[in-house]
Amino acid sequence: MSELHRKTALVIGAGSLGGPAALALASAGDFRIVLVDAATVESADLAGQPIFVEADLGQPRGAAAARRLARLFPRLEVVASARGFDEGSAGELVHSADVVVDASSHFLTMFLANDAASAGGKALAHGGLLNLTVQLLTVVPGLTGCLRCLFEGPPPPGPDAGVLGPLAGLAGSLLGAEAVRLLEGRPGAYSGRLLVHEARSGRSRSVPVRRRPGCPACGAIPGGGVPPSGKGS
Amino acid sequence: MSVADAEGARFARQRLVPALGPEGQQLFRDARIHVVGAGAVAGPALLHLAQAGVGTIFVDDGADVDGAVDGDAGSWLYSPDQVGQPRLLAAIAALRAASAFVRVRACATDAEPTATLVCAQREPVARLAAERARLAGLPHVVALGDGDGGAVVTIPSGAPCLRCALQPGARVTPRPGASAAIGTLAAVELLLVVARLLPGDGAGRRIDLVEGWPRVRPTARTPGCDCRNVH
Repeated sequence: MSELHRKTALVIGAGSLGGPAALALASAGDFRIVLVDAATVESADLAGQPIFVEADLGQPRGAAAARRLARLFPRLEVVASARGFDEGSAGELVHSADVVVDASSHFLTMFLANDAASAGGKALAHGGLLNLTVQLLTVVPGLTGCLRCLFEGPPPPGPDAGVLGPLAGLAGSLLGAEAVRLLEGRPGAYSGRLLVHEARSGRSRSVPVRRRPGCPACGAIPGGGVPPSGKGS
Repeated sequence: MSVADAEGARFARQRLVPALGPEGQQLFRDARIHVVGAGAVAGPALLHLAQAGVGTIFVDDGADVDGAVDGDAGSWLYSPDQVGQPRLLAAIAALRAASAFVRVRACATDAEPTATLVCAQREPVARLAAERARLAGLPHVVALGDGDGGAVVTIPSGAPCLRCALQPGARVTPRPGASAAIGTLAAVELLLVVARLLPGDGAGRRIDLVEGWPRVRPTARTPGCDCRNVH
């Protein structure tokens, strides 16, 4: 039994980011994946969610994703949590995980995942997408800044933004690969550095994410910081 | 619900992307993509192209499903009970199950693709496929995995060839997560070509993925390369 087998990745969201992230995680080894997604598979999901097939339409997303993973990777232990990721379940779900993968498309859930991971002392791999821009960040409690250090809080609600399905898939694949690095005990590629990749130009930027004094999520956690190194093209 | 309405609902979020819109989605629908390879790099690319609304995909692969640990498990297309079956047939079935809006065929001599995506596992095969696409005047994108990353070379018609962009070298089998990222990045690049969203007028580029970080650079023609004249 490998070291990975004893470790658990909590994947929040089984959609356009979470599906590829879970597939990338599953491809990498025999370990435990807990999927949390209370929505059902809709037609629009199949424009960019390779974990689902036409036959999954109308099915609960978490359960459908778990079925597909189990079929492709029978040795994998996959659990589809029947509970959504909310204030009542977040602490318990995070507690059971070694790494938290935030693949949610909802801002409130993103910040809830950030807060719960910080409180639980668990590394968080976060992915986001807007139109043709991808962003990835890894939060290591006590070492790096967190989502609230960077953005303070969720933005006000706005109109639905577009998503190019395969670009979400790229973010999800990178997110899954990052989770594997963290599960293997390697440094995260995005620890303390927000990757911002714009697809049309192909350019990437690195935004250092330092701990912010007084941050309501991670400000009370003792520890120093890692100096983020600049990357980008 | 009519087919047009169903298609509209399926791709509504993509059509909201400002640079893409309904016109870009129609370009996806009109595209006929020849995909070389159906392994760990190609599998995620094939699924994403099929689900993004590409009209026709020609699958081109002569191997059987490999059950090795570093074989086809990362392709996202095959289950262990398909080991030993032709990848071509298994991939076609998987893609048809993934989307009702794509036509998937084996690549034949009368295929007439409009663009090529090269995701062959062996570099010599990839180079040969890229050269064929160039000589046919087809825009093409080449993905080569390497360890924790790899390279994706985008070659619109008339751009510097793969040989100019990427010298042959020793590459190791990509890790599963990295192979998916490289394949998916290649699918994104191909869709940007199809939707005419790449900056520059026919300029080529190469994106290296190194430990999760994409780095882009324009490609330049190697002095003496005949790709300027033979096109």
